[in-house]
Amino acid sequence: MEDFRKHFSVFLTFFTPTAGWLVLLFFVPLGIIWVYSFGENISLTEIKTTWTLDNYKRMFEPQIITLFWRTVWLSTLSTIITLVIAYPISMVIATASNKAKPWLMLVIILPFWTNLLIRTYAMLNILGTRGRINDVLEWLWNLGDGALDLIGLGAFDLLGEHFAPIRFLGNNSGVMIGMIYVYLPFAVLPIYSSLERLDRNLLEASLDLGAGQWRTFRSVLLPLTSAGISTAAVITFIPMLGSFLIPNLLGRGKVDMIANVIERQFKSANDWPFGSALSLFLLYITFIILAIQAFANMRANKGRNDG
Amino acid sequence: MAPTPIISVHDVCKYYGNFTALEGISFDIKPGEIFVLLGPSGCGKSTLLRIIAGLETESKGDVVIDGTDMLGIPANKRPVNMVFQSYAVFPHMSVEANVAYGLKLERLPKAEIKAKVAEALEQVHLSQFSHRMPDQLSGGQRQRVALARALVKRPQVLLLDEPLSALDAKLRDAMRLELVKLQESVGVSFVMVTHDQSEAMAMADRIAVLKDGKLRQLDSPTALYKNPCDQFVADFIGRINMFDVSSHTRNGDAVQFDTKTLGTVTLPASLMPANTRNLAIAVRPERVRVGLEQPAAEMIAVTGTLGDVAFQGDSSLVEIILDGERSITALATEAQAETLMALEIGTQVYANWQPKDMLVLPENASE
Ligand SMILES: Nc1ncnc2c1ncn2[C@@H]1O[C@H](COP(=O)(O)OP(=O)(O)O)[C@@H](O)[C@H]1O
Ligand SMILES: [Mg+2]
Repeated sequence: MEDFRKHFSVFLTFFTPTAGWLVLLFFVPLGIIWVYSFGENISLTEIKTTWTLDNYKRMFEPQIITLFWRTVWLSTLSTIITLVIAYPISMVIATASNKAKPWLMLVIILPFWTNLLIRTYAMLNILGTRGRINDVLEWLWNLGDGALDLIGLGAFDLLGEHFAPIRFLGNNSGVMIGMIYVYLPFAVLPIYSSLERLDRNLLEASLDLGAGQWRTFRSVLLPLTSAGISTAAVITFIPMLGSFLIPNLLGRGKVDMIANVIERQFKSANDWPFGSALSLFLLYITFIILAIQAFANMRANKGRNDG
Repeated sequence: MAPTPIISVHDVCKYYGNFTALEGISFDIKPGEIFVLLGPSGCGKSTLLRIIAGLETESKGDVVIDGTDMLGIPANKRPVNMVFQSYAVFPHMSVEANVAYGLKLERLPKAEIKAKVAEALEQVHLSQFSHRMPDQLSGGQRQRVALARALVKRPQVLLLDEPLSALDAKLRDAMRLELVKLQESVGVSFVMVTHDQSEAMAMADRIAVLKDGKLRQLDSPTALYKNPCDQFVADFIGRINMFDVSSHTRNGDAVQFDTKTLGTVTLPASLMPANTRNLAIAVRPERVRVGLEQPAAEMIAVTGTLGDVAFQGDSSLVEIILDGERSITALATEAQAETLMALEIGTQVYANWQPKDMLVLPENASE
């Protein structure tokens, strides 16, 4: 490894295609976006780079602030719910027998192999007012209503006059359910791997010293898997922030997140400079989150070494 | 009257599927003794210890601690504490927090916890490390944390799973003594698991020898050494020269044993064990003398050639080679070893011992 300096031509041969690829497909477009973000529309198709800051100033317009705020809280809440669901799932996999483990893992990873678009359409089918969930609820409603009739309370319409389906689509709940469903596997994997690495004797030691299950969970299991939890949080939160398809389809265009507004700037609104500024802003937020996590990890490691 | 046992294990069995990890284990542990579970790896020692701790449930039988049947009582409610083989020191807590963990759960006043923790750390010589994190400690220090953390709970019995196996040889010898001293000062019974017979002999008041999930013999170290009940125990505890018996015939007060190596040997019938299946006769190395002249007629003797003499300080292990495969080991005193070492390897010698020094051992006393 260390003698790539000596064999510079070999190094170049291998490095150039990769680097070229990266420059061509990542840094060049990013640079263009960056330049655009300081531009102005001068006609329908022309953008002039005037190095204006107007596109960034527009971030502070109330409706954009509202948009960011909605994006952040939807993603935050969805991330928290995802973690709460992912933790017990990870525990089940980590404690399963060696025979069952690969199968359970497969069930978790399987959705990865299916196109996101297809999965989101499937969610439409499940969550719709005439979707599968409401089918089950309606069946339960009929059952309950029939039972009430049977015991002579039918006349009071205790469960309502007729079945009212729950609306998931076109509101926050549908978008959150969609995001949680899609990003759950991302959360399960890091938590599972941190559970897998944990020495089981530590949990037994806690029990042996008199702690109950809950106390052991809180004082030993949770702190010792915190690295996995924080990784899970970051790798679900960041893509959630940039969600486009899920709010678009499950939100029925009524629940905008940043990415939907960005898309509109590049298409119907035809305001590429503002779209570019929004995109970069999203990128900066992502960088800040990653930096905070890296910093927190560094501190945790340092704390361990210094006592 | 014998003191009431602090732990009573009665007919405990443990099955994993159709694998039998433990079968019909019964014994009592006396207050204040060091009780060692000894046996080769995989014989069920840890399983038994974990059943006592409540970390594993017995398939059959019962465990009574301090007069209370432990059936259905979880690990966190049992008056015993464990020192794990891997120590299981909480890596995210300081030494002090590790030791305080069990006390905080008892909801003791803060000042009392602090005093008890300080006292426990003092006991294991870790006072100056109280603020360190576990990964800043050596293996030996981490073990002391595990000890302090368990002892500070004032358990009726301290359970130790191979406490010395992860330490290097020198530290291990020092810790043997220190553990015994610690046990004497705190006065609680220790139940210790080990696969190292010399460790067991050095530390135990009593040793339970396990093999394949069954209890072979339970006795004091000296009794185990002098009167092993069968070939496994004799071989596992200390060195022994063992000779398979092909057949034996009884003649009044004497029994004749036919062996391949020693020929026919006549021994007093009083040496016969109750179980006589697949017998072997055996002699400890320290009973074997090595000489250049034909020994007296009443001695049991075998001719061989001198092999290696392994110097051990105050004594030496002498190997006498009988034929291609078999050899006899003798323990020679310093003076004897010096004469032997002056001889050339391959010199013809006589290994001999008295008939009364022989042991007659069945293959497995409990079968
Ligand atoms: N959870 C388990 N499932 C199946 N077999 C087990 C389990 N725990 C232990 N065993 C088996 O029981 C036997 C005894 O194990 P153990 O008590 O750990 O032995 P040791 O005497 O070395 O401490 C071993 O053969 C081991 O493979
Ligand atoms: Mg073991």
